[in-house]
Amino acid sequence: MSFTSIAFLCFLMLGLLVYYLVPGKWQWMVLLAASWVFYYSAGWHGFLYLAFTTISTYSAGLLLGKLNKARSQLPPEQKKAGAEGIKRKKKWVVACTLCLNFGLLFVVKYYNFTAEALHLPLPSLNLLVPLGLSFYMFQSIGYVIDCYRGKYEPQRNLAKFSLFTSFFPQLIQGPISRYHELGPQLLRPHKFQADNLKYGIQLAMWGYLKKMIADRAAVPVNTIFGDLEAYGGAFVAIAVAFYCIQLYCDFSGGIDIAIGAAQMFGIEVTPNFRRPVFATTLTDFWRRWHITLGTWMKDYVFYPMSLSKPLGKVGKFTRRKLGGKLGKVIPTSIATFTVYFIIGIWHGANFRYIFFGFWNGIIITGSFLLSGPLIALRNLLHIQENSLVHRWIGRARTMLIVFMGRYITRAPRLLVAFSLLWKTVSTPCLYQLRDGTFMTLGLKALDYWVIGIGCIVILTLEWFQEQGTPIRKTLEKKSVFVQWLCIFLPLLILLVMHILGGEYISSEFIYKQF
Amino acid sequence: MNNRLELLNILTSVCPGVDFEKESALVDDEILESLDLVTIVSEMMDTFDIELNVEDLLPENFNSVDAMMQLIEERK
Repeated sequence: MSFTSIAFLCFLMLGLLVYYLVPGKWQWMVLLAASWVFYYSAGWHGFLYLAFTTISTYSAGLLLGKLNKARSQLPPEQKKAGAEGIKRKKKWVVACTLCLNFGLLFVVKYYNFTAEALHLPLPSLNLLVPLGLSFYMFQSIGYVIDCYRGKYEPQRNLAKFSLFTSFFPQLIQGPISRYHELGPQLLRPHKFQADNLKYGIQLAMWGYLKKMIADRAAVPVNTIFGDLEAYGGAFVAIAVAFYCIQLYCDFSGGIDIAIGAAQMFGIEVTPNFRRPVFATTLTDFWRRWHITLGTWMKDYVFYPMSLSKPLGKVGKFTRRKLGGKLGKVIPTSIATFTVYFIIGIWHGANFRYIFFGFWNGIIITGSFLLSGPLIALRNLLHIQENSLVHRWIGRARTMLIVFMGRYITRAPRLLVAFSLLWKTVSTPCLYQLRDGTFMTLGLKALDYWVIGIGCIVILTLEWFQEQGTPIRKTLEKKSVFVQWLCIFLPLLILLVMHILGGEYISSEFIYKQF
Repeated sequence: MNNRLELLNILTSVCPGVDFEKESALVDDEILESLDLVTIVSEMMDTFDIELNVEDLLPENFNSVDAMMQLIEERK
C-alpha cells in the first residue's frame, strides 16, 4: 500500500476514525492493528522478517533489563567483580542480537553481491528484500544498545514493543526513531485535536507536492541514463541535477507524508531533513540530510568506535609519533570512514555505493586535515568567517561535492560514473541545449514549469525557515480560510496535475527499497 | 599526582596553549572541537580507569575542568 495510493488515503481515514472513537487505553492497539494490516498488504513474507527482528530485539531488551537490575542489586563488596561478569554477559546478549539481525540483513541484501565480488563458488539466492528492512532493523538495534547502556527500562509487553518496530507511517522509509522518544507517545492516549489534524494534513500535502515534482524529475533522468551514448556531457550533468531534485523531493516528500500522518494521530516523529541545500560543509550536509541515520551512526558507531580501547591505543601511538593535528585525526578518521562505508553499503549492495561512502569519508577527513591551510587562505582573501560570502562559498562548494557524489550513485556502474564525470567536462556537446533535445526527454513544457516553479517554492520556503521564520506559526496568524487554503490549494494542484499528467503519479519511493 | 593535575596534563597535551583553569565554556565557545573531545574522553577513560559513553558526551560535562572532574568522580 503505497503512500500515493487512494487505498492508503482510505486506510488512513479509516484508521483515524477508529483511533479517535475507541477509548484512549485501546488506541495503541488500533495503531498496532493498522500497522500490521499496512505491512501485511505488501506481502506475508516481509511480515516474517519484521516478526523476527521484533521478537529477537524484544527478548534481548528483556535480558539486558534483567542484567542491569542484577548489577544494581549487587552488594557493595561484590560490586566490581560482579559488575565485570554481568557486563560480559550483556556484551554477549548484544553481540548475539547484532549477529542474528545483521546476519539476516546480510543474507537478504548482501549475500549475492559478496559471493559475486569475491568469486565464491556459492549458489545465488533469489530473496526479496522486505520493505523498510534496514529502517526498522536499525531502529530496533538502537533500542537494544540503549538497553545495554541502561538508558531506560525495556518494554515488557511484546505487543506494545511491536508497535514501536512497526508503526506504519515510518515503517517503510523512516525516520529511524528512538524508543524513549517514540515509545511512550505511541502508548499514551491521545484526544482528538483539530490542530494535529490540520498540521498533519498540511505537512502530508507538502510531501505529496514534493513527490509530484520528484516523479516528473525522474523522467529525464531515466531517459538520459537509459541511453547515455546519445547525450553529451551537458545533458549528463542536467540528468544528474534532475536526479538531485528527484532524490530530495522523493525522500523528503515521503518523510513529510510519514511525519504528517503520524501527527494526525497526535504522535510527533523526529524530523529527518533540515534544509540540506543550505549546508555549508559536507559534514553539515550530513547533519541535515537523513538526520536520523546520521545520529544513529554517531551514537551507535562513531562514538563507541572512537572511544574504544583499540582506537584509543591507535590515537596514543599516532599522537606520540606524528603529533599535532594528524595524530588526533587518524583515529577519528578510521571511525569516520567506517561510518561512511556503512552509510554507503546501506544504500545498496554495489561497489558504487561503497565508493560513495569513501568519497564522503575522504572529503570529510580531508577537510579536518586541510582546515589550517583553508583558514590561512580565507584570511589571505580577507573573507570573514560566517560572513555572507563565506557562507555562500561554502554552500556552492558543498553542493558541487554532493552533485559529484550523485554521479556515483546514479551511474549504472562505478567506472561509468567516472567516465560520465569526464564526459561532462571534456565533451559537453552544448549544441544539444539548443536543438530541441530537451523536448525529447519525455516531459512536456508544462512539466518543466512544474519542476521549476516547484523548486523555487521549496527553496523560498526553506530560505525563510533557514532565516528563522517559523512557517507554521506565521500561517497560524492568518485567517482560518487561508490556513485551509494551504491544504486545499496543494490538493487542487495535485488533482489538476494528475489529470494533465497522470502517467507520472504514484511511482514508488526510492528509499523504501533500503 | 592528583586527579586534577592528571586531567590538566591530558588537556594541555591535547590542546596546548589553552588556559584550562580559567575557561568555563570550553565546548560552547568551541575551544574544544569534536576531535579534541574524542581524544580527551579516550585519555580520561584510560588514565582514570572509568567508563564513559555517548550519553556522557554533553557540553555541560566538558565545559570546564570542574565539570570534567565531577564526571570523573561520578564514574569512579
